[in-house]
Amino acid sequence: MIIDVNTYLGHWPFRKINHNESHSLSAYLKKSQIDQACVSSLNAIFYKDTQQGNLELAEEIKGEGDFFIPFAVINPTYAGWEKDFIYCISTLKMKGLMLYPYYHGYKLTDDCAVSLINLAAKMNVPVHLPCAIENIRQKHPMDTEENLSLSQVSEVLSLCSDADFIISNGSTHAMAKSLKNIIDQRNGEVFFDFARVEVFTEDLDQLIDYAGIDHVVFGSVAPFQYIDPQLVKLNYLKTDDLDKIKYKNLSRLLRIK
Amino acid sequence: MDLFKNNTVINWHDHVWPDENNKLDEKRLYLMMKSFHDTYMDLIVCSNPVLRGNPTPEEFIHCNNLQYEAITKYPKEMKGMVFVNPGYMKESLNEIDRCVNELGFIGVKLYNQYHISSPVVRDIIEKCIRMDIPILEHAAKLNHGAALQPYTSNGLHFAKVAEQYPEGVFIHAHIGGGGDWQWTLKAIEDFSNIFIDISGSVCDEDIIEQSVSHLGAKRILFGTDMSFSASIGKMLGADIKETEKIEILNNKAFEKYIMRG
Repeated sequence: MIIDVNTYLGHWPFRKINHNESHSLSAYLKKSQIDQACVSSLNAIFYKDTQQGNLELAEEIKGEGDFFIPFAVINPTYAGWEKDFIYCISTLKMKGLMLYPYYHGYKLTDDCAVSLINLAAKMNVPVHLPCAIENIRQKHPMDTEENLSLSQVSEVLSLCSDADFIISNGSTHAMAKSLKNIIDQRNGEVFFDFARVEVFTEDLDQLIDYAGIDHVVFGSVAPFQYIDPQLVKLNYLKTDDLDKIKYKNLSRLLRIK
Repeated sequence: MDLFKNNTVINWHDHVWPDENNKLDEKRLYLMMKSFHDTYMDLIVCSNPVLRGNPTPEEFIHCNNLQYEAITKYPKEMKGMVFVNPGYMKESLNEIDRCVNELGFIGVKLYNQYHISSPVVRDIIEKCIRMDIPILEHAAKLNHGAALQPYTSNGLHFAKVAEQYPEGVFIHAHIGGGGDWQWTLKAIEDFSNIFIDISGSVCDEDIIEQSVSHLGAKRILFGTDMSFSASIGKMLGADIKETEKIEILNNKAFEKYIMRG
């Protein structure tokens, strides 16, 4: 069994993406042995009002049973964010919060972001911080010039010490090393995926050493990336606790039975 | 992994590196070759380029000596590409002679010291044509961070030189190396003497399919460039014909270089 922490539905403005509708994406993921997937709306990132994308997502995945685990994209600088977030969690039964400071023009340490993250912590909702969506070296001229800022993450981990975080799609082995001392002093947990970490060097072992086997999760970045590179890593990873990485850690975090 | 296990796999792009004492980094070499064996590869073609600055002849000769040292440790599994700096033309030409004729290297590796279309590089290209060996050049269409590598060649530089030297064999390195690969494919598609290798950490869905669509499998080589899981996963995940995958894993057009090495 595999639960995927990082998949997307919707339109990407800068490149044609295949499998970006719910039925097509679920089929694509199931073909690669993925049993459930956290999913969020790409449209929400680019709409001024992210909530319109969240509502679209909720509608889009209705026919897929419990295969998709929806996460809400919220921009804490936009009017009504608090009401929108509560609606996504309480009414739409979304399980997590996606933040994109590098698309929405704020810092994770800004008051509005800290308030949102603390609200998420109070509601037992994990906060997912993707380091990027696409590799920045191939960016469209209109795409963001930034990736997730390690220094902002470092500060917000302390400012919001009760919140649970998921950090994905970046050099998470290096981040886990840099953030270890801060993470050790927090109440909340921090999970990392290995989408951009190599199994054939010492990097993935380093991620497990610093994050701990209980805090490494599977993320494919589908449909942006092939899923097979992540499956290759599972195939070659030497650990007795592979099931924790494949699904147990996320099941625990998201309280999935 | 049946695709790799059941077919011949020639990896045309990876590297050996110096350690902090400027000797062969044996640990890194061991890890790479362990991965090579674990993933059922048959041959790996490596080079040892200097990534920044303007290496002197002493420096690039040392790089090639380290490369040769690695080959002597894995003589059946590894071939070498000669790294030179075209800014030192006489020494570069001599080094190509030494490495190909005496040490059995099978091609030339150029990095980002000059665009491949620069007049500075011409004598090297003409020598490679005379010797009938390919040139593997570091390349990318960088839409971010390009200022850090101002002389990295992109697809248009390749197109220019391929038109100028239709008998040359040019390998555009790592289509997944982090750059606008769609732009690159369009820039080079009309030039049949430009090949790509699929290496690099970028494993965007559709990158292999679009590469085959623009160039055909015959113009694509398998490579890893330090990203084994991404490169292997791209091949496994690509929605192309099995015969095309097999062709990429062991591109027959390049067999002659290996046989000669």
